[in-house]
Amino acid sequence: MTSTLPAATAPKVPARRRPVPAGGPAGRTRPPGRLRSSRSDLILCGVLLVVILVVQGWNIGDYPTLSDDEGTYLAQAWAVQEGRGLAHYTYWYDHPPLGWIQLAVLTWIPAVISPESMTVGTMRGVMLLISGVSAVLVHVLGRRLALPRWAAGLGMLIFGLSPLSVVLQREIFLDNLAVMWTLLAFTLAASPSRHLWHHFGAGVAAAVGVLTKETMLVVLPALFVTAWRHSHRDTRKFALTGAVTACALIGLSYPLFALLKGELFPGSGHVSLWDGVVYQMTRPGSGFVLDEGSGSWGVLQSWLYYDRVLPLGGLAGALLLLATWRWSVTARALAGPALTVAILAALALRPDGYLPAMYIIQALPFLALVLAGGTAGVAHAVLRRGRQATGGRPPTWSRYALAGALALAACLHVVPRWYEGARTAVTTEANAPYRAASAWMATEVADPADTRVLVDDAMWLDLVHAGYRPGPGVIWFYKADLDPAVTDTLPNGWRDIDYVVASPTVRRDAKDLPNVAGAIAHSQPVAVFGTGEDRIEIRRVDTTGGSR
Amino acid sequence: MTDEAPVERHSVTSRGMFGIWGDLMLTSVFIAVVSLALFWMAAFTLWWQMHAWRTPEVLASTRFSSPDGGEHLSFSLLIPARHEQAVLDHTVQRLLESGHTDFEIIVIVGHDDPETTAVAEAAAARDPRVRVVVDTHEKKNKPRAMNTALPHCRGDVVGVFDAEDQVHPSLLAHVDHAFRSTGADVVQGGVQLINFHSSWYSLRNCLEYFFWFRSRLHLHAQKGFIPLGGNTVFVRTGVLREARGWDPDCLAEDCDLGVRLSSAGRKVVVAYDSDMVTREETPGSLMSLLRQRTRWNQGFLQVHRKKDWRRLPTFGQRMLARYTLMTPFLQAFSGLIIPLNVAIAIFLDVPVGVAFITFLPAVTALVTFVFEVVGLHDFGKQYGLRVRFAHYLKLVVGGPFYQVLLAGAAIRAVWREQRGRTDWELTTHVGAHLDPTATTAHDAATVSRDAATVSRDASAATREDVPA
Repeated sequence: MTSTLPAATAPKVPARRRPVPAGGPAGRTRPPGRLRSSRSDLILCGVLLVVILVVQGWNIGDYPTLSDDEGTYLAQAWAVQEGRGLAHYTYWYDHPPLGWIQLAVLTWIPAVISPESMTVGTMRGVMLLISGVSAVLVHVLGRRLALPRWAAGLGMLIFGLSPLSVVLQREIFLDNLAVMWTLLAFTLAASPSRHLWHHFGAGVAAAVGVLTKETMLVVLPALFVTAWRHSHRDTRKFALTGAVTACALIGLSYPLFALLKGELFPGSGHVSLWDGVVYQMTRPGSGFVLDEGSGSWGVLQSWLYYDRVLPLGGLAGALLLLATWRWSVTARALAGPALTVAILAALALRPDGYLPAMYIIQALPFLALVLAGGTAGVAHAVLRRGRQATGGRPPTWSRYALAGALALAACLHVVPRWYEGARTAVTTEANAPYRAASAWMATEVADPADTRVLVDDAMWLDLVHAGYRPGPGVIWFYKADLDPAVTDTLPNGWRDIDYVVASPTVRRDAKDLPNVAGAIAHSQPVAVFGTGEDRIEIRRVDTTGGSR
Repeated sequence: MTDEAPVERHSVTSRGMFGIWGDLMLTSVFIAVVSLALFWMAAFTLWWQMHAWRTPEVLASTRFSSPDGGEHLSFSLLIPARHEQAVLDHTVQRLLESGHTDFEIIVIVGHDDPETTAVAEAAAARDPRVRVVVDTHEKKNKPRAMNTALPHCRGDVVGVFDAEDQVHPSLLAHVDHAFRSTGADVVQGGVQLINFHSSWYSLRNCLEYFFWFRSRLHLHAQKGFIPLGGNTVFVRTGVLREARGWDPDCLAEDCDLGVRLSSAGRKVVVAYDSDMVTREETPGSLMSLLRQRTRWNQGFLQVHRKKDWRRLPTFGQRMLARYTLMTPFLQAFSGLIIPLNVAIAIFLDVPVGVAFITFLPAVTALVTFVFEVVGLHDFGKQYGLRVRFAHYLKLVVGGPFYQVLLAGAAIRAVWREQRGRTDWELTTHVGAHLDPTATTAHDAATVSRDAATVSRDASAATREDVPA
């Protein structure tokens, strides 16, 4: 990590932009060429994209384990497709709805062709599209931030193939969609033509990102810095005001939506945006992330379990870049990504903040870019540092040897671990119990339309396709206790339930949910899939004592 | 307000479900179509308005390139002057200070206007480069006056200035260079209203000029369709004679000339430099601004009806022409419809999706507002003027009222054109922009000058409407 970028590659960098001298028209750099007409960039990007898509796509439905959140978002996307509003239960402003509206659009055509395909395992396929676009954007952004071609490719590769990325990007998380929009915003903000409407578009994309996953809000300052650095002083005030205005106006459409529905402020008998925001802001914390034994610590360990290189290396790189801001051209070029990483890290270090498992998703592309930029800096230091004095002769063999040794060491450290991660991802079959349980419920229950089942979100759509009535028939288990609209249909509590599909999530959360706990306590397993902690039990509720 | 709610609420009425649904659908579709049309209109206008600031390269290209020192063209500068004895002499003197070596000034006065004639003759007696041409037309207007002078022009290039214009001494050298380096037939320089502090409407009026000359005209030049401005416009004498000068019956003869020359495939170049613009003043009263705007709108209507623009080679150019010439009326229309639309979205039971669409034009208007505020800041910076917070406030608050004024002028123009009233309504000039303190924006100076403006305007009101 040194102060300059590799000088030898500079002329080949079309997107290269120095801050233009303050003198106005004189000294303005020539408008750089277009990336899409560079054959080597296209080939590199295309090859890497294929590799990433193969590793991420192979076995996508079976690994990792279906998550509850994926089921939630996909079910809500299903509700949008079916014209049932923004959710199949009352939409309560937990998140802005744009994320699953996009999911609904993305899954629309496959769902029309084959309605049964609208399940979590199958629809993970659309996430490949998102990952692919994001990976390409990482490459383009890297080039626009003045990285040499190989470094931009390295960033793309790290972003796409880190075992942590492979696991998280396969899942149907809103964060993955939001990351794509945020990357688009950064790419537009760093547009080499410094076009007013590109900056305006960056504002729009940023707003869409925030409306997809509200946590993207914290990244906006870093985006602003990027747009500032990539605008010309003569047109800057128009470009940046345009970007901010666009972002604010699109963002305000969410409160406007609530206002039009009469749900902006709390009131009796309806949900409100205000209540939703209050809920999110006052979520119980999961402890200090460095406090061994806290929930946040556990989340951190789960990330590091998959990969240490990207999170730790990226974080160290970002801090180093910010520290060397004054002297390093690379640091200034990568100011946006480095600042993004710093902001996200600072937020994760809140003493008692809530740290969700997908929090790191939004940092992944920026960690990758910072890491790639750092590598480019080291390469430059090894091969070029001090060469100007000797008349720019080619580097000596010793320098090449040193660079080769460093690269080899890095590969020896990274490749086996990542290979192992990729192998796990493409071979492990984690969701067989889920599929078996869902098949059992579809075939062994006599009258699905008249049967009431508690399931977790991930299996909900499977049972809807199997003929259970969405809402009162097949019930998201926690709604049986938390949603008044559902509890009203359960006057006898757990006695009105016929089956519980007790997945690990259901068993874990049941302790706080009386109806669910009651149903589990008064039921017998009729089928068990898998073993140990991860097993899925189908339990028939003993309703003989109840009056239905 | 959900999709289903309105239906349920109205279903008790005697008209039945389907009728209500049908009505609601019809209203929704209608509102959506109108909103989308307005949105596209506003978006295009905004896109064009921001043309110069698209990229730093575009902005750099809107400036005059520095003259190379060679001066090869000779200029005939026309100054039509009618009841302009207060400002004419100053204008002529300033023009004579020009650094260019080869030009003549032709002041055109009316045979029934002895005061102005006296000032012009005095100037001609002092300097041989000044000549006076007397216009003897019974009905007087600017195009007739200039056509009267056209045969007397000896220069290679004819330039037009108004009697109250403040012209920069090195403008001619830059124009000379622009003609030679680009091979243009027409060069349009920048014109800028300066006295933004005089009143709320002059603030908006100044900014209109700023966006028009700084930005939008360059787009028109690039697209090959341009309505020229009334002054600081330079045309090769041969080209102008070939086009038979100005249309004597058109209320926007400048716009008409631009349209005819572009349709004939003439090359027009626009250049804007804040220190090279011709400085002018806004009309002295709201009423005279309304009259001026009515005349322009009516002129645009006439040019549209003359259909010269149909000879433009490409479809895109013809569309741009049609749209530009109709802009005042579209503007008036959208100014009235946008608030109505938003009111409908809020108070009527339309689906949320449709309500969202009705907000689109308002959103575009908001973006335009924001860019206007930034534009005002840039205007202040470019001209070294101190723009205070109160001015920004005036700009924003005055927006809707200015829209009403524009709408009024547009309606008035249609009405006059319909009634066949095509006489000139001249704008009077009191020389507010000539005051050297005008640019320092001292409040006291502003107040006293405003008072002078008002009183002079009152006394001049009788000569504003030249009888038909």
